Amino acid sequence: MKRALILFATLFLLNLSSAFAETTLEKIGRGGTLTIGTRTGSPPFAYVDKNNRWVGFSIDLVEQFVAPAVSKKIGKTIKVAKKESAPPTRIPLLTSNAVDLIAETMTDTKERRESVDFSLTFFYTGAQFLVKKGSPITGIDSVAGKRVAAQQGATNARILRERVPTVKLVEFPDQPAAFQALAQGRVEAYTNDGIQLAGLKAKAPKPDDWAIVGAFYSNEPYGMAMRKNEPDFHNLVNQGLADAIESGKYFELYDKYFGSKGELPYPMTAEMKRLLQASAAEFRKAAGAQPAGK
Amino acid sequence: MDFGVIERNWSFLLGQGLVGIGGFAGGTLRLAVPALLLGFILGLFIGLARLARSRWVRVPATIYVELFRGVPLVMVIFWFWFILPFALDVALPEYGIALAAFVVFEAAYLAEIVRAGIQSVPSGQVEAALSAGLGQVQTMRYVVLPQALRNMIPALVTQFIVLFKDTSLASIIGYVDLTKAAQIVNNREIRPFELYLFIAVVYWLCAYGMSRYAGYLERRLATA
Amino acid sequence: MTYHFDWSVLWRGQAGAWLLQGLLTTLAISALAWLLALALGILAGALRTVRFTPARILAAAYVEFFRNVPLLVWMFFFYFAVPTLLPQPLQEWLYEHGAEFSAATAALGVYHGARFSEMIRAGIQSIPKTQLEAALSTGLSAAQAYRLVILPIALRLIIPPLTNETLNLFKNSSVALTIGVAELTFQTRQIETYTAKAIEALTAGTLIYLILCLAIARTMARVERRFAIPGMVGSGATEP
Repeated sequence: MKRALILFATLFLLNLSSAFAETTLEKIGRGGTLTIGTRTGSPPFAYVDKNNRWVGFSIDLVEQFVAPAVSKKIGKTIKVAKKESAPPTRIPLLTSNAVDLIAETMTDTKERRESVDFSLTFFYTGAQFLVKKGSPITGIDSVAGKRVAAQQGATNARILRERVPTVKLVEFPDQPAAFQALAQGRVEAYTNDGIQLAGLKAKAPKPDDWAIVGAFYSNEPYGMAMRKNEPDFHNLVNQGLADAIESGKYFELYDKYFGSKGELPYPMTAEMKRLLQASAAEFRKAAGAQPAGK
Repeated sequence: MDFGVIERNWSFLLGQGLVGIGGFAGGTLRLAVPALLLGFILGLFIGLARLARSRWVRVPATIYVELFRGVPLVMVIFWFWFILPFALDVALPEYGIALAAFVVFEAAYLAEIVRAGIQSVPSGQVEAALSAGLGQVQTMRYVVLPQALRNMIPALVTQFIVLFKDTSLASIIGYVDLTKAAQIVNNREIRPFELYLFIAVVYWLCAYGMSRYAGYLERRLATA
Repeated sequence: MTYHFDWSVLWRGQAGAWLLQGLLTTLAISALAWLLALALGILAGALRTVRFTPARILAAAYVEFFRNVPLLVWMFFFYFAVPTLLPQPLQEWLYEHGAEFSAATAALGVYHGARFSEMIRAGIQSIPKTQLEAALSTGLSAAQAYRLVILPIALRLIIPPLTNETLNLFKNSSVALTIGVAELTFQTRQIETYTAKAIEALTAGTLIYLILCLAIARTMARVERRFAIPGMVGSGATEP
């Protein structure tokens, strides 16, 4: 009992000490570092390559477009620090100030917007299934009663459970664990966003052993998540991304990763290009209508 | 079974994982050594506090020790991971969080070793020192602690081995120690047997080496 | 950034049920692993004291190897690597029936079995050799002598370090969360993930561990008092 009382007392004191509020931009300016939460096993968005370097499309988006925008606004060069995040940990990392921006493969959803803000959508994909070649599973209609892997806390797990109540969902803390389960036969399919499954398949030791099946059973627009009530930082991130889309630099980066000579050939659809340009334009209009930040 | 994966990645596993040289924030030794030194200093104070005359000093120290010995290290790591950046309002690197958690946790165990070491010094020594005119603090500094420290050394080395193994839990918050380095490579290459066997052997070599050294120290100190 | 306390998340919603499930899982893993560890510990500890050298070396190899490698590595090894070595039908059965739980129990039991064996060995070695000689001279075989005379005494002698190690085993069950076992610490994280109330969740989990550790320590103290051998204080059995 005494231990519990001392514990509570300490916690209340700690809470009092953090009553001062600092904006994200001030925090970044103070430390000179923009800390992002990103993945280590989601090629080609954020992963560790064969030379054991931490690289990826999402990481480059931050380093090449967002960080310079922040640096320009603050007036000094900002470094980008990376911390590992995964679906169950990313929002806590953000709300506890451990990271300032989640730049990986996080889907922008209405529910999540209650806890965090999202940047412009920087990628469009949808949920599918990864199976061993020759598997009888061909899409969401054939997974009833089967063991399917999903990431704990990801949108796919929840949606699949709602659409197919009899599915035996096995949740894993991150993508590599789920993929290993599939490789070892613990599960019969792995559900995630199509582009990530394509990345896994391409990087697998034997890509031809795997097949991505099923039509998109949900739409997954990727956004970068940040804390709520940070209009300056939010605008800067969107500015960086919008500049990249309008100047064409975004499409060059896209080509590097998803072009015919890239890590994972995945030609951009005309639809996606249109959506990207539309959201950039919409941001410009909205930003133009407001005074340029405090 | 393809041990080529070890061949291709051993410099990452040992360089980044064990020592801490590389592009990631990590290193088992880089965490274990400072944790032991800082933990010992903290443990020394708490161990002394456990033996203090005043209740205001003794009781908090006892609570500290009993608290951290009654919860799993994983729980303590999570406490620090969630609360520390929030309380200090700054984004801390995993290294800082892990180091803080390990120092605070190990200090509780080291405090017990310190206490046992001090209590193992025969009370005749203290009586003789006091009757020779030394004050309480002087007695502690010049008579009790030197002998106590010598008695503690084997237990300290044993605790270091425990700490060395415990650093593997830092991988849970993403610190790239030897275990996390193996996980990173395994996630890419999917060769769990080869990789985890390899790091088991590395851990074993280090820990076994240290325990042999502890035995050697014990034998050398026992002669006096 | 201020934190808004909301202790009601602990009883509103699913938090209470999750904590209970986690607690039961923790107790289940700990109990099963403890039995495994005791069995392995007695076997290895006893084998290290017999005259037959190959048995001694085998037991020593088991103890030295498993003791000096972190438990986390064993968890990963038993969960990811060992199933691949098993025959296919066994693998299938394992995946259908909670592979994580089995792997975690196995890792925890085997790791602590190595640690238990050192205490049991010390306990056996602190019994005067005359006991064994007397037992053998009444016609008991070596195995019977160990089973009926030596081990019962040894086990009662080492109850204090055994208590300590049992508490360690119980606390180490938390490492099982890394391979997906929904034990108590995992559920603490789960509550935190769904409600974002880290302090409340962590406090609940911490209090439960503290209470249980206290309960285990008290129980073992009662066991020690009941089984104490008059005239033989629990000495000579030092912690590894």
